[in-house]
Amino acid sequence: MNRFKYVLALLTLMALLLGAFAGLAQDEKVLVVGWKEQTDAYDPANGFTHSTHIVNHVTYSQLVTFPDENAGEILPLLAASWEISDDGTVYTFSLNQDAIFANGDDVNSDDVVFSWNRLKHRDGNPSFLADGIDAVEAIDDDTVAVTLPAPRPSFLSEITSGVFSITNADVVRANGGTDAEDAAETDTAGAYLDSTSAGSGPYVLDLWEPQNRTELVRNDNYWGDQPYFDRVIFIHMPEGATQKAALEAGDIDLALDLSPDQVATLEGNPDINIFRGPGVLTHFIIMNTDEQYSGPFANPTVQLAVRYALDYEGYKTLWGGVKPATNMTAGFFGNLGEEAAFSRDLDKARELLAEAGYPDGLDMLLEYPDFGAGGVDFNTNAQKIQADLAEVGINVTLQPGELQVALDKYRSGLHGIGYWLWGPDILDSLDFLSFMPPGKVATERNNWQLESLPQEIQDAIAAAKVTSEPEERLRLFTVLQEYTMQYGPFAPFNVPDVATAYRSDLQGYIWHPHWLLDVQILSRAM
Amino acid sequence: MSFIRYFVRRLLLVIPILLGITLVAFLIANAIPADPIVANLPPNALNDEDTIAAFRKKWGLDKPLHEQYLTYLGNLLQGDLGVSIKWRKPVSEDIAKRLPATIELATLGIMYGIVLGVGLGLVSAIWKDSWADYIARVIALIGVSFPVFLIALIFLNVFYAQLSIAAGPGRLHVLLRPPPTVTGMYTIDALLNGDWKTFGNALSHLILPALTLALYISGIISRITRSSLLEVLNQDYMRTARAKGLRERTVIGFHGMRNSLIPVVTVIGLSYGNLLVGSILIESIFAYPGIGFYMFRASTSQDFPAIMGVSLLFAFIYVGVNFVVDILYFFLDPRIRVA
Repeated sequence: MNRFKYVLALLTLMALLLGAFAGLAQDEKVLVVGWKEQTDAYDPANGFTHSTHIVNHVTYSQLVTFPDENAGEILPLLAASWEISDDGTVYTFSLNQDAIFANGDDVNSDDVVFSWNRLKHRDGNPSFLADGIDAVEAIDDDTVAVTLPAPRPSFLSEITSGVFSITNADVVRANGGTDAEDAAETDTAGAYLDSTSAGSGPYVLDLWEPQNRTELVRNDNYWGDQPYFDRVIFIHMPEGATQKAALEAGDIDLALDLSPDQVATLEGNPDINIFRGPGVLTHFIIMNTDEQYSGPFANPTVQLAVRYALDYEGYKTLWGGVKPATNMTAGFFGNLGEEAAFSRDLDKARELLAEAGYPDGLDMLLEYPDFGAGGVDFNTNAQKIQADLAEVGINVTLQPGELQVALDKYRSGLHGIGYWLWGPDILDSLDFLSFMPPGKVATERNNWQLESLPQEIQDAIAAAKVTSEPEERLRLFTVLQEYTMQYGPFAPFNVPDVATAYRSDLQGYIWHPHWLLDVQILSRAM
Repeated sequence: MSFIRYFVRRLLLVIPILLGITLVAFLIANAIPADPIVANLPPNALNDEDTIAAFRKKWGLDKPLHEQYLTYLGNLLQGDLGVSIKWRKPVSEDIAKRLPATIELATLGIMYGIVLGVGLGLVSAIWKDSWADYIARVIALIGVSFPVFLIALIFLNVFYAQLSIAAGPGRLHVLLRPPPTVTGMYTIDALLNGDWKTFGNALSHLILPALTLALYISGIISRITRSSLLEVLNQDYMRTARAKGLRERTVIGFHGMRNSLIPVVTVIGLSYGNLLVGSILIESIFAYPGIGFYMFRASTSQDFPAIMGVSLLFAFIYVGVNFVVDILYFFLDPRIRVA
């Protein structure tokens, strides 16, 4: 036993010394990112997670893209230019003739047709995004025409997504890929595209060990500006605390999943920089419009009282960010902005409750997931909602649930009153229509029916779906938002800031509302 | 009782236990009121009936529960644990890749745990009611009562992030390449490859998680060692040993320890179960890509084949370790041989 103890002690000491002082010389310029990997696949026709987007954004190129710092305009990428037919249903893209894939092949229209048809027919997680495309046709080698069933002003925004990445058709076909209608059964390229990429982005996927690490190497054939880092390593660290420790120790350059309080403890550390910026996740209360589930909270007057009762400034103090006027994501075109948002007015809330027939208050059961997103804790907010509403006589009982269980109930429209968050599916104001009937949150999840709306609002919803003229869009979205502020079954209360911490020698970091992180624009100070 | 008869009897008992475990794991995994479709398909795809139907069909979720279970058992007998819904890879392949990492960690963890637990127990028993006893009991109490993730976080922050005297998360430094795979255990493979740098680095990455696991299990080991040794120390044969003029070290080390080992060995066997459960949290915090890490993600994704596969593996290991403990009894306790 004694000898065993000494051997063990010696080994430990040796390992500590070796581990702590291991100097690892390197020739390559390497970027190490700590993240909570969620990747389901890196095959663009099969993967649909944040981590897939971050990687595919740089291993593939899309036809069009957003600027590095925001989603404010559409810029050309593989498509050098495009035209939209007068009826708004046909988009004709002319491809950039300089663009080549990582293996040196030209990017041509066959690749676009193949990639998008494969996406559509693959029945993968993101395939539904291609449902709104009727046909993709090659006009010639460098021209592609895309036909939509109806005009859709958000189309160009939608195809900035990594899901619409252009893959090298020859390579994917050679590895079992197909874009035929039976691709769901016959395509076998998934494993290949999860191990390497077949794109034209500045990096190539070099390694994916699920729930462990993802490595990218620089694409020496890249047709655009070469990125600074030779290699990018993403290390899966599911706990924010682990990422923070590794960042402080200098083992990672960037930590993507720190909570606000973890970020706060890094303030003042000279080795660490902190990026703060406006986020896109809206936290809101949802009240079922079917009274068999929500009782008195199906009444629009009670719903309005709830909106007046919330302490919006308090949530800002907790998480930063902005107070939203409606569920339209902050910063989107036509958003009414913070100045139009509700301010707390307890007298008004009590008055409305009395008017609705509840002068002595009422009870509420608030269901929500026991969950945190971007470091914002649902339990903390739920407790604050409870305290806020108590001041106007609404006695809230909190009912946290396991995420998947709560999600089931919420998505099937069987919940009463819930607390959830929303991140936009598309970076366009059209996303807001999810919160207007017959949108999925409004109707599928909350039983808010189109027929219950005044005719002019129904007309405005129909018009908003197809109008691309800016002034008219602005008018329509203003009308719709103002209507939901008055009569809608939602009480959005906070859009928290995002905060990311990184080593201070890292340059060029910026958080993007769509792809979150763009490793191709990062470099290291000499 | 002959050893063979004892061995076969114990072995036969293992079969119904394992079968029961498959059933319980299957029922629990299915009883959770969460839908694998919601867990594994993106929100927007949930509106698409075709996608949902394709998903159900692909993973056999459209079949009745008993049929799903029988199919699973049938496949299991052929060594097929199914395909992970989340990662679309054979579960057995994933397990084979991750198990060596956990074995490496658990082995070092149990070694530290035994040294720490038995050591503290010995100190406590020999110097009963002294300050050394109190200190040892406080350490044991911390090990038993402190949440394991808290110990892990404290270790990580203090020894890695602040003091920089220990290696951090993962199995190796991020810029080091794993050694060529022979056993899948980096320390062993590095040694086989004669790569001392990788060996030292892999070992250094094991220290903090293994010590956390050790503290977690050493509490109970030390308590049992203490009480068991105290009981033995008062026996007549101990007095006889001392009367014969044997050194105190021999009295305690040979006569005392040997006779107090049975409950200690039992509890070490049981601790192995705790070690596996503890590894789920520890591996998450130390970003250590072992089987606990895999189980954690499988559970949160309602990935039935993966959950079942790992549950079965844990059960096999647990039952296996306790089987070995049963066999050890045969050698440690002459009364079993006589019975």
